[in-house]
Amino acid sequence: MTWIRLAWNNLARRPVRTSLTAVGVGLATAVAVSLGGFNLGFRSAIARSIEQLGFQVMVMAKGCPYEAATLMLKGGTGLLYLPESAHEQIRTDPDIEAITPVFLGVAEKPAGGMDEGLGATAFALIAGIETESYRTMKPWLRFQSGPGYDGGRWFSPESTDEAVMGFEAAQYEQRKVGDLLYLSVVPHGRSEPELHTFRIVGVLERTGTQDDGTVFLPLRTAQRIFGREGQLTIVGVTLRQFNAIRMREFEGRWMSIPEVQVVSLEQVKGALVSLVGTAQTMVAAVAVIAVIVAMIGVLNAILMSVYERTAEFGILKAIGAERRQIFRLVCLETLLLALAGAVGGSVVAVAGVRLTDAALRRLLNLGVSQPMVLITPRLLAVSILGAVALGLLAALWPAARAASLRPVEAIRGQE
Amino acid sequence: MDAPLIIGRGLCRYYRRGIETVRALDGVDVTISAGESVAVVGPSGSGKTTLLNVLAGLDAPTGGDLWIGGRPVSGLSEGALTAIRRGFFGYVFQHFHLLPTLTVAENVALPLLFLRRPLVPNELHRVLDAVGLADRAHHLPRELSGGQMQRVAIGRALIVRPRVLVADEPTGNLDSANAEAILSLFLDLVAREGLALLLSTHNRDLAARCTRILHLRDGHLWDPQPSVTKT
Repeated sequence: MTWIRLAWNNLARRPVRTSLTAVGVGLATAVAVSLGGFNLGFRSAIARSIEQLGFQVMVMAKGCPYEAATLMLKGGTGLLYLPESAHEQIRTDPDIEAITPVFLGVAEKPAGGMDEGLGATAFALIAGIETESYRTMKPWLRFQSGPGYDGGRWFSPESTDEAVMGFEAAQYEQRKVGDLLYLSVVPHGRSEPELHTFRIVGVLERTGTQDDGTVFLPLRTAQRIFGREGQLTIVGVTLRQFNAIRMREFEGRWMSIPEVQVVSLEQVKGALVSLVGTAQTMVAAVAVIAVIVAMIGVLNAILMSVYERTAEFGILKAIGAERRQIFRLVCLETLLLALAGAVGGSVVAVAGVRLTDAALRRLLNLGVSQPMVLITPRLLAVSILGAVALGLLAALWPAARAASLRPVEAIRGQE
Repeated sequence: MDAPLIIGRGLCRYYRRGIETVRALDGVDVTISAGESVAVVGPSGSGKTTLLNVLAGLDAPTGGDLWIGGRPVSGLSEGALTAIRRGFFGYVFQHFHLLPTLTVAENVALPLLFLRRPLVPNELHRVLDAVGLADRAHHLPRELSGGQMQRVAIGRALIVRPRVLVADEPTGNLDSANAEAILSLFLDLVAREGLALLLSTHNRDLAARCTRILHLRDGHLWDPQPSVTKT
C-alpha cells in the first residue's frame, strides 16, 4: 500500500464525481493552454508575416493607419491610391536599397472555383507588380514544379494577357500552367464589369503569406484593366540602414508629398499587436474565469468527500494517522484529480490546436497567415503546474478540516 | 500479572450540552494489565464508550489522572495523545469502518502506512491466519459477511502488535454465532499474544467470559456483588 494508491482508491469510490471534476479541470486547462498558445503564437505570427512581406517601409495614400497595417497582410477593399509620380520621386532617395511599386485591386471571378455553387462569384486579389523589383524584395519566391506546373516563369512587363498565380489561388481555381483565368473587373468610373482572359504562365510555391492567395499581373496591365493608369496602391521600400533615426529621416523627407503616408512595418507590427491586445486581455479574462470555476469545482468535490468520510478520518486517526498525514492524504487526492484533469486538458488543447486556430481566425480576422496558436512544452508545463497548484490551493480548506477532526467526535458524528 | 498498562484515577469526562453539563464519567478508577480481558457493561448512556475512549487515549479526560504505558497523559494535546497511542492500542469498532476499495490484506496493512513501518509479508500472513481470513486476503469488504468484516477490523488492530486491544461493541452488529466466534478469537489472542483486552458490550453472557467485568452506570463504576474475578 502506498499513499498514491490509497489516494487513488479514495477518488475511485466516487467515479462520477471524480470524473466530472477532472473534466472541469481539464476544460479550464484546455482553455488556458489554448489562449496562452494564442498569446504566444500571435506575436510571432505577426512578426513572421510582416518579415515575409519583404518590405521595411510602405508608402501609401493617407488613410486609416490600421487599415494600412492590415492592407498588405490580408488584402482589402475600398483601397486608396497614390500617384505613380510619388514612386518616381521616392526612388531617388539616397537611403533606399530597394523599392517596388504595387497596384492592388479586387476582381470578380466568374463561377468555377472548387467551393462555389453554380452561377456564384468570388473575389480575387489582384497585384500589379514590376517583376524585377518585386523579386528583389522577395527572393524566396519560387515557381512550383511537377506535372502541370513545369516551365513556370514570370510575365514580361509589356505582357497584357499573362498572369502568375499564388499557390492557394491556383489550388482554389484548379488552375495549372497554360490554363486560362477569367477575371471580371469594373474599371474606375464605370458601372459595367469587363471580362478579361489571362493565360497562367506560372504558379508559385506556398509561402505562407498573402502572396499565396494573390493573382499577379504586370503593373501596367493591372492599372489599365482597373482604369487607374498612373496610380499605385503602395510603394514597398527597404532602406540601406533600417533604424529609428533613418526611418524618421526618411519619413520626414517624404511625408511632405500630398496624400502620402509613410508607414514602417515595425509600426504596423505594433499597431496589430496593440489592436489584438484588448482581445487578448478579454480571452485571458475568460481563461481566468474558467480556472476559478474549475477551482470551485475541485473545492466542492473535495469538501463533499471530506464531509462524507468524517467517520473514516476519525478511524484513520484512531488507527495511527497523524494530522499531517490526513492533511497530506486529502492534498494528494486533490493533486491526482487536478493532475489527471490538467494532463487531459493539455492533450485536448494540443490535439485541437488546428481547430482553435481556425476558430480564432474566424473570430479575429487579423490577416495573419502563420499559425496563430503556438503551444510550447514550456506553456504546457506552466499550465499543468498552475492547474495543480490552484487545485492544491482549493484543497487547503477541506484538508485542514479533515486533519483537525477529533477521532472520537468524527466517529460518533457518523455512527 | 505484569505491571499495569493503563491506570486511571478519578477519571472524569464532562460535556456541555446546551446549558446542561453531562457527566459521562465521574470519578472512575481503573487499572488494566497485560494478559487480562476486561468487559465494560452497562445500559445505554452509562458511559461505556466514553470510558473506552478515555482509557484508549482517543479522548482526553476533563478530570483525574491517567497513565498509559507508565506515562501520564492527562492534559496532553491531541497530537501528543496520538503519539502515545500509535502502536500501543489496536481499535475495533462496532461498524467495522473498512475502506471499501481496499482488499482485506490492504485494509489489514493500512495502519503500517501511518506508522511508517514496512510491510512484512510473513507478519501479514500471520495476522490473516490469526483472524481466519488467509483465504480472503484479496477480497473486497463488500464480498465478506459481517463476521468476516469484523475479523478484518481485528486484523487491522493486530497488525501494529498493540499492547492493548480496545473493542467498542465489537459484536453489536453480529448474530449470536458470529458474536461468540469473535469473542473467542479475542480471548484466544489475549491468551496467545499476551495483550490486554478492553471491550464494551451489552451482552452479559459474552462479558462473563472475560476475566473482569466493570459495571458502569451514570458515569460511575458500581459493584452489583463482590467482583467476579476469574483465574
